[in-house]
Amino acid sequence: MSAVAEGRKHRRRKGFDRPRFLWALYVGICLYLFVPILVVIIYSFNSSKSLQVFGGLSTRWYRAFWNDPDIKASLVASFEVAAVTMIIATVLGTLLAFGLVRARGRLGGTANILMLLPLITPEIVTAVGLLLLFGRVHTELSLKTIILGHITFSISYVTVIVRARLSLLNREVEEAAMDLGATELGALRLVTLPALYPAIGASALLVFVLSFDDFVTSVFISGAGTSPLPVRIYSLLRVGVSPEINAVGTTMIGITLLIALATLPLLLWRRRTEPPAAAAAPASE
Amino acid sequence: MRRRGLWSSFLVPPGLWLVALYVVPLGLIVAASFGTVDFLGRVIYSWPFSGWDLSNYHTVLSSAYLPAFLRSLTFAALTTLLCVLIGYPVAYVIARYGGRVRHLLVVLLVLPWFVDYLIRVYAWIVLLGDNGVVNGWLGDLGMSGDPPVQFLGTWWAVVGGLFYSYFPFMVLPIYAAVDRMDSALVEAGKDLYGTPWQTFRYVTFPATFQGVVAGAVLVFLPASGDFANAEFLGSPGTSMIGNVINGTFNQGGYVPLGGTLTVCFMVGIAAFMVFYLRSASRASREGAL
Repeated sequence: MSAVAEGRKHRRRKGFDRPRFLWALYVGICLYLFVPILVVIIYSFNSSKSLQVFGGLSTRWYRAFWNDPDIKASLVASFEVAAVTMIIATVLGTLLAFGLVRARGRLGGTANILMLLPLITPEIVTAVGLLLLFGRVHTELSLKTIILGHITFSISYVTVIVRARLSLLNREVEEAAMDLGATELGALRLVTLPALYPAIGASALLVFVLSFDDFVTSVFISGAGTSPLPVRIYSLLRVGVSPEINAVGTTMIGITLLIALATLPLLLWRRRTEPPAAAAAPASE
Repeated sequence: MRRRGLWSSFLVPPGLWLVALYVVPLGLIVAASFGTVDFLGRVIYSWPFSGWDLSNYHTVLSSAYLPAFLRSLTFAALTTLLCVLIGYPVAYVIARYGGRVRHLLVVLLVLPWFVDYLIRVYAWIVLLGDNGVVNGWLGDLGMSGDPPVQFLGTWWAVVGGLFYSYFPFMVLPIYAAVDRMDSALVEAGKDLYGTPWQTFRYVTFPATFQGVVAGAVLVFLPASGDFANAEFLGSPGTSMIGNVINGTFNQGGYVPLGGTLTVCFMVGIAAFMVFYLRSASRASREGAL
């Protein structure tokens, strides 16, 4: 037995199996992914205006950004849009997940296609469509129309994440609650929803980031008033690169990475609670 | 106690939302693509069988827009290829040899995606722009020229930016596929005296091919409709169809023509979308999703 294992170990050291070259590739790709972002962060603390000379540490560009009422208004607007989008899209997406997993009949298949389509439609297409729609029904473009647009592309993300968890849940626990006198909706609220909280929480945070960072939809359907931060950055970039954008960008990086890191424990929690439910799932279907 | 149709009724609110704000807008794009504008510049939509005006399509298909279409497809295809060639080995080594930290290693690759999309594009301007960091160093090293090297404004800068934007979409499905694969299959391949290459060619790659396909679609589709990378990292000579569409709608172009361009773009990528939908709905029927 151990001789076989030894033999395998020995063989594993040869040729394609030796992944040192592949790990080098991994490190290389990590550098490629992180260096540009780190450069933005480092140069946001540059005291000189030049991008080529690092003149020393300073919070000059953060003060400039903080004293710019337009950019501050955009930051607040982005938060508002993302928060409202997060709440509504999470509710709608969770409803859709329940419907897709549990409804019988043809309606579910159609709804499934309808749910998957927005995920793979290039965003520019949906954005053009929304622009035409709001023009057609004579709705003035504002933060409200942006929220409507963001919810539309966010629903499917929530559904995919929540459905993955929901389809692993053991239906019999819910039936036991009903045998003990709970109504169907009561069992849903007391038994099923708590088991889904990690997935729902993770998808809510993902939607917040998607909405907070969204640029394509927002740029198409933002009106004359305050625009979300990415749209503001877009118009600043069209004028040219300025160190202030580094500071704005670093602030956004900080916000979204904090949220991303908050999402991780939720997803890992899900992993730990998975096996018992997963093992029983086929019997209930 | 048990109500029939309770779960179906859950489909109604999100379903209506998606019909109103996804399906109807797509219909409006099609209707606009056959339409014209009135004297105030408002779109006059043209509905089926009420006399389709094909002139917008003649304009799109006969003229200067073809290069932008071809560039979009070429750039997106190159980006996808690059993502497979680099994403597959990276995802493979993490899933097979990452041990207990493998989830963490994947998260590290996905983390930059959480950084705002425009900031990621902007980061390349800071790094590689004519007055950027790298050109500053090259100048200090004594390279002549102003700038020493022109990185941006080239087609490969655009492809590099697209790769940077969408790489995680390739890594995640391949990683999931390799992680799911039974490693005993590889051992079996070796026990049958397959060379490492043969084992990869006939065992590992076929077993994880679904992940590659999913990743390819998830990279190709958004890359083909992208415009920020081409706008900021490219030059007018590298503009993609997204730039043309964006210009039509956001810089005061002829709106029905923008609709026609969008429809033609959708037709161009429809095959990929249908392909993905079919495999995804098959996967959800089999309970894999």
